[in-house]
Amino acid sequence: MNLAPILVTLGGGLLALILAIYFWVARGRGGGRTQAVFFTILAAVLLIVAAGLGWQRLGPNAAQQALVAVPRGPVQVRVLAALPIEPWVREAARQFNEKGLRQDGQPIEIQVTAMDGLTALGKFDRDEFGTLPGGKTRDQLTAAERQKLETTFPTVWIPDSRYLVELANAAYKERLSRDVFLTDGEYRAKPIAISLFTWGLYNSRATALEKKSGKIDWQVIHDAAIAKGGWPELGGDPAWGFFKLVVPNPRRNVGGLAAMIAAAGEYYDKPNISVAEVTDPKFQKWLKELMGALTDVSGASAYTAEDFALFGYSVGDGGQLLESDLLNSMAGIQKRWADPLVIRYPKYVTWFDFPFSIWVGPETTAAEKNAALQFQQFLLTPEIQKLAVAQGLRPVNSQVSIKEGDNLFVQWKSQGIEAVVQRTTRMATPSRDVLQALLRWFDLNVGK
Amino acid sequence: MSRRYRDQRKSKGTPGVVFAIVGVALFLCILLAIGGVVALVNSGKQAGPGAASPAIETRNATLTIAYSPEKATLLQGLAEKFNAKNLRTSDRQPIKIELVELKPDEMVEKALAGQADFQALTPDSSLWLDQLNSRYAQAQQTEPGAIPPRLAGEGVRYAVTPIVIAAWETSAKSLGWPAKPVGWTALQTRARQDANFKWNHPSTAHASGLLATLAEFYAGAGVQRGLTAEMAQNPKTLEFVNAVEKTVRFYGESELAVIQQAAKAGAKDLDAFVTPEQLVVAFNTGVFGKPPAKLIALYPAEGTLWADHPLALLETPELTANQRRTFQAFREYLASAEAQKEILRAGYRPADLSLSLAGPDSPLTAANGVDHSQPQTTLQLPPPDVVAVVQNVWAAAKRRTNVILVVDTSGSMKGDKLTNMQTALRAFLAQIPSDQERIGLVEFNSTVTSIIELDTLAKNRGALTREIDGLQANGNTAFLDAVRTAYRRLQQSGDSERINAIVAMTDGRENASRVTLQQLADEMQTGNQKTPIIVFSVAYGSDADMKVLDTLAKASGGQVRVGTPETIRELYKILSSYF
Repeated sequence: MNLAPILVTLGGGLLALILAIYFWVARGRGGGRTQAVFFTILAAVLLIVAAGLGWQRLGPNAAQQALVAVPRGPVQVRVLAALPIEPWVREAARQFNEKGLRQDGQPIEIQVTAMDGLTALGKFDRDEFGTLPGGKTRDQLTAAERQKLETTFPTVWIPDSRYLVELANAAYKERLSRDVFLTDGEYRAKPIAISLFTWGLYNSRATALEKKSGKIDWQVIHDAAIAKGGWPELGGDPAWGFFKLVVPNPRRNVGGLAAMIAAAGEYYDKPNISVAEVTDPKFQKWLKELMGALTDVSGASAYTAEDFALFGYSVGDGGQLLESDLLNSMAGIQKRWADPLVIRYPKYVTWFDFPFSIWVGPETTAAEKNAALQFQQFLLTPEIQKLAVAQGLRPVNSQVSIKEGDNLFVQWKSQGIEAVVQRTTRMATPSRDVLQALLRWFDLNVGK
Repeated sequence: MSRRYRDQRKSKGTPGVVFAIVGVALFLCILLAIGGVVALVNSGKQAGPGAASPAIETRNATLTIAYSPEKATLLQGLAEKFNAKNLRTSDRQPIKIELVELKPDEMVEKALAGQADFQALTPDSSLWLDQLNSRYAQAQQTEPGAIPPRLAGEGVRYAVTPIVIAAWETSAKSLGWPAKPVGWTALQTRARQDANFKWNHPSTAHASGLLATLAEFYAGAGVQRGLTAEMAQNPKTLEFVNAVEKTVRFYGESELAVIQQAAKAGAKDLDAFVTPEQLVVAFNTGVFGKPPAKLIALYPAEGTLWADHPLALLETPELTANQRRTFQAFREYLASAEAQKEILRAGYRPADLSLSLAGPDSPLTAANGVDHSQPQTTLQLPPPDVVAVVQNVWAAAKRRTNVILVVDTSGSMKGDKLTNMQTALRAFLAQIPSDQERIGLVEFNSTVTSIIELDTLAKNRGALTREIDGLQANGNTAFLDAVRTAYRRLQQSGDSERINAIVAMTDGRENASRVTLQQLADEMQTGNQKTPIIVFSVAYGSDADMKVLDTLAKASGGQVRVGTPETIRELYKILSSYF
């Protein structure tokens, strides 16, 4: 505890008091009345200030204030970013921070944390970030509570898809009777980049499968998965073993859920899937046979496209993965394994739109919200959107094109990448009940 | 009173009053100053010397990372270079990495028990992170369908390496390399058909041990994927696994220890062992000394696993924002060109795909016994509950042991030496996982003074514990007689189903035995052709006769270990992992 300001002020006050007394007394001998008055006033002021400082430092609330890690300076915007866009958002944050932009006179600092959308949704469901209980304001928090809020509560959430935002809003509406992420107005959740799910297979494997079975779809993959004779039965090399499917673990990566929903869509040949359909025994049997081709059902595999690149065909011949992840891995795969990936687009397309969603509750300050808006605008600028394109993401800013220029979409056209995706049928976003039914099924039948 | 008199009175009395008031004020100032100093000193004492204020603790940017033993050299080097950059957080806190070495299963147990003295971990495989999160979610009683909480956050890969069967070039050729693909079936068949073929794998506490065990269960169940708990517990599967495990020479504490031993003993010790590819590269490039012969990495045709060395944060409430920043900074450093090149030089496959494995700087070459275009396929890793069944079933199916502890209680063992030895022996017994292991004890000084005959721990534990508690030091050192006593008892039992071993400890020089070193060594070499018995010789302190210990170890295909009063307990714990 620093008592120096109190002591200095008090000392100054007493010195002024001594001088005031001296001049008052000396006045009787014809000394300065003016000096006496001056030093009296000065002494009074300094003693009052010293008393005030003393009360602040030594008074009843002083102990609690000692615990406060007073955030100095920057308005901190804490961003939870889904895994596929985290590298881009982090780089954008770095450039944004370097610009030294300000909000309400304070510098803005963007901090980015990578977190899968489902994992983040789980944390919101369990209220692990710690929303303010009904009616409580920031001023009513203890120092420790405020400190936690100011250092860990996310200002912005960028999940993989807006349906996760809708699910989080639904949960908080029940609990807090309010939306926490808006869908209209200035702070509405706004897409900052998009991508979609496509098939990615090693060229050698795709060639063998397409020769035997035609166009790649979930039924072709299912038939490959159940081939008892492995690759020789599918027209491939015996050294390749069995057909190995790469699907992200839905517990670890929201893409895994998207893959299962897409599989359901093709099974039923429609883009809207109901709970009754995902719980149908015949469909579940089909799905189980499909999942039997996963190489890692232990739950460890959340890395999917990264797995493809690092571990090559040893862990996966192909799978339905996010286009941006595949694009980012194409060059590396070719270099590491000398067998390039080919891309094929499914009949029903699943899009991820990465909505930039600002937390509008009292847990974030006005300054933080507005600083977040600044960052959102920055992400939508052509320069930063081009950065997204360089990482395989499709831009939302119409000024930025992917059809020409030196970008991954042009570079890998020969491997099946389509700058303009011809399919028009989009998989509908699933309801929470459908998601839970699939997760429950996965837990009980595959990844338990 | 005249005005002049009044003025004189005033002028005589006024200076005294002024001085008095000034004096009182000064006195008050001095009192306040003293009081302020006392208050400052007291507040410093309450905080304590070196104690950080709570505000500073919440800004702590030092991140402690638990790492698995096989990457000690690599990680220590990388952490040192990272720390040398002297980075700071935006609030000026020093960014620093500290390291603590732990086995992966210890990382999991400590994290789950809330006793982790680390904030991040990098085990050899994501299997451990998954086990950690799975058990954490179970402890939180997450319902099926709900999104489970996770204790370990998203892992980051910086280095990966496949698990291989390492074999000496001659052994590899005898298995069919390079003419045909070699795999688990070839290894298991050879081990069961050829009693002289020596191989090992670590316990299932290590990724390579788990892989080798999984391969046995797959082969025993007659499938190459879709292993279920029922299949793993099927009697036919267990019979197969038992038969294969009977051929394991010993288990051992880690891949690193096995390869270090291979560097010393060459092909005399083992013909093949399961290990990460990176250690084969390190061995062949002389990291463990001039290699006695070349090791070949055999990539199992049926499939292998990868050791993917993930780095992950432990998401605990105590984790500070600055520690997250440190994690991010270290993560970025590990992904940097400088770090990735170092990782490649160490024999790992770097996560940076732009680094060619076939380039001039890559040690992943045929000359170093590896093939970077491999592996072609992996074994399917079953769900966590099946993995747990495999681990538990293996603990019951693994090769059993007959171990006799030979304990020196000569006069030089008096005092702390004996006390620490007793602690070490108790730790050894406590670490043995199954009561079905058979343990005996031979105590000696001027002669063999006491023998606890071999029997299962279920029956023998009490007698062994009483014997250990009652040890007393005096007399000379009849080490060779004691070892021969133990050796003859094991030979007489003739039990080749079990691993037969002697853990023989002495702190001094042999001076009282009737048998000579040469006689005993010859007896061992002859007897081991009938029933192999391995001697683990333990030199307790610097006065131990290394020549004797070394000769016995070499004659039996065993090992020499050195312990001090401070390390003997840990050494015996390590030795227990061989059984």
